[in-house]
Parts: sequence; structure tokens; C-alpha cells
Amino acid sequence: MTLFERIFGKKESSANVAKNRLTVMLAQERADNSFPFIDDLRKDIIDVIKKYTSVESVNISTEKNQNIDMLEVEITLGKNE
Amino acid sequence: MGKNSYNKNGKIITITSGKGGVGKSTTTANIAVSLADEGKKVVAIDFDIGLRNLDMILGLENRIVFDVVDVMDNNCNLRQALINDKISKNLYFLPASQTKDKHVLETGKVEKLIDDLKKEFDFILIDSPAGIEGGFEHSIMLADMALIISTPDVSAVRDADRVIGIIDAKSKKAKNGEEVEKHVIINRIKKDMVDRGDMLGIDDVLNILALPLIGVVPDDEKVVSSTNTGSPVARDDNAKSGKAYRNIAKRILGEDVEFLDLEDPKGFIEYIKGLFR
Repeated sequence: MTLFERIFGKKESSANVAKNRLTVMLAQERADNSFPFIDDLRKDIIDVIKKYTSVESVNISTEKNQNIDMLEVEITLGKNE
Repeated sequence: MGKNSYNKNGKIITITSGKGGVGKSTTTANIAVSLADEGKKVVAIDFDIGLRNLDMILGLENRIVFDVVDVMDNNCNLRQALINDKISKNLYFLPASQTKDKHVLETGKVEKLIDDLKKEFDFILIDSPAGIEGGFEHSIMLADMALIISTPDVSAVRDADRVIGIIDAKSKKAKNGEEVEKHVIINRIKKDMVDRGDMLGIDDVLNILALPLIGVVPDDEKVVSSTNTGSPVARDDNAKSGKAYRNIAKRILGEDVEFLDLEDPKGFIEYIKGLFR
């Protein structure tokens, strides 16, 4: 962008265009990748397991492979049964 | 490798980016050199199985006999495979294997290798392959710290964002509830283009990636010429990029170093020309 373009506001700088395109694209991608219910799900799992035995931790990891979304749930039980 | 040096608990730093060609190997080599020249015992490992690169940047390609897969498969012991730098006694290098099968890394063997190295080195630098597949997963699995390299362009920033999003899912540390330190390195930035509004600036990239910055490396022809000769630019006192890499090493060591002024000292005529460009 030249000085004249800057002064007379001829066109938006290409860096600004890049920034806007990236912001929009990544907002979409991040939304696709996230599972907003995970914290609630973890609480519910803990509650269910607690009915039967003690729980030390519940780990949920997520994976996205082209068409398949996967949740990997790892439950560590407490030592006293 | 001293006989009584088996008590170290080295820090594992993975250099990654998602996109290829943004300078992962160059960054790995130069941070390794800089840390070694700061007196730390460093090993740089090339995890880009099938596409070796780090050896030429370090200028050590003629010394390779065994590689990382030979060590993991017990074809040789670790000491036989480790290549000492030409200049620094502190710096060692473990080359990638040239085998075509890039699925050759096995989780258990990778863990064993890294565990062995942790005992002898202060820093273990892993040069991750591009992409987010097996090789990347193995290189991030044990990391204490991840350095995410991006150049200031849309595809590199987008891929960096993807990688940042999956680091924790692939990290053992994160699975154990600990934090993997993540920092951004912006590579090949051109100050004059940023000033003209033709290139994403440091703040733009950081706002998007939402991670702390640990280094900005200016676009520098000296990186090319030093790669040509196999003598990392971090050892060139006059190169701005070299200084940038040395500063990153200092920040890794916990020093508070100011970021470089990227402005090139320009003549008046150049300045006027810049206005009209």
C-alpha cells in the first residue's frame, strides 16, 4: 500500500484482508473442533460411576478424523472399593 | 558424555508448525547451537523420518553412520549414533532414518530413547515433521515445551492454530494434568512489508494464535548462505537472524531479553522511496 493509498483510503491493506479472512476461518474451525458439553459430560459420568464405586478422575480427550468425531473417555477408579 | 552425568533430568522441547517449509529444522538447529554455546548440554533429534534435513543445516551430514531408528531397534547403542558437533563439545545430533516407511516409530521405543537422553542432556530438542500424523504425534508426546513456528502468512498461521489445538490431546504431560508450555516463534518477518500493510504483523499473528511470543526472526539472506555451508547462522555475530535465535535460547533459559528492533538502518533516499512504493 502506498502513502497515497493510505492517505486517501483507496483500498484496504492486504495484511488486513489476511487478518480478517483468518479470523473468520479459524472461528469456524475452532467451533467445529470443540465439544462445548465436555465439562458437563464429565460431571455426569462421575455421578454415574459414583453410584457403584469411587472415582479418582475422568479424562476425556477428543479427536477429529475427516468425518468421524471421537471422544476418548478414561476413568480412573479410586483405590478403596 | 561424562561418566557421572547420569543424573540430569533434561527438558524436552518440540519444534513444530503444522505447515512444512516454515523453518522448523533451521530453528531447531539454531536454538540447539545457541543453547549449547550457553553451556548447556544439548541433543537435537530429527524426527522427520524419511526426509532428513537437520544434518545438512548443522553441517554434520558426512558423519552419519547410525540413525534414530537404529538406536530404537538396538542395531547400535546410543553413543554410537550420537554425532558430536564440529565446534561445540556440548552439542550432539541424532539423525532421522532415511527409510521410506514413516510409520517406523513405535511409542514404547520412542519413550525409551527419550528417557535415556533425558539422563544425559539438559535439553532434548525434537524437530517434528510437518503434518499432524504419526511422526508429529511421537514428537509431541513427551514434550515439556512446544515451540510453534509460523511465518506471517495465512496458511502457516492457520496450520499453526490447528497444531496448537491438538498438542494437549497428544501430550502425555497434558494427560497427567500438567501443562505443556507453548510459545510462538514468528519466522521470516519483513519489517518493511508489515509497515506497508502487506504482511501480517507480530501482533496480528499473536492475537490470532493467543499464545505468548518467544521469538521473532527477521527474514534474512544469511540463513540461506549459512545453510549452504552447514554453519548455523546463530554462530554469525553479524546476522540479525542469528541474534534472534540466540535470544530465543536465552529466553528458554529464563532470561528476560528484549525483542529485537527489526528496523533496518535505511538511508534517506531509501526512506523516501519507501513512501512512494
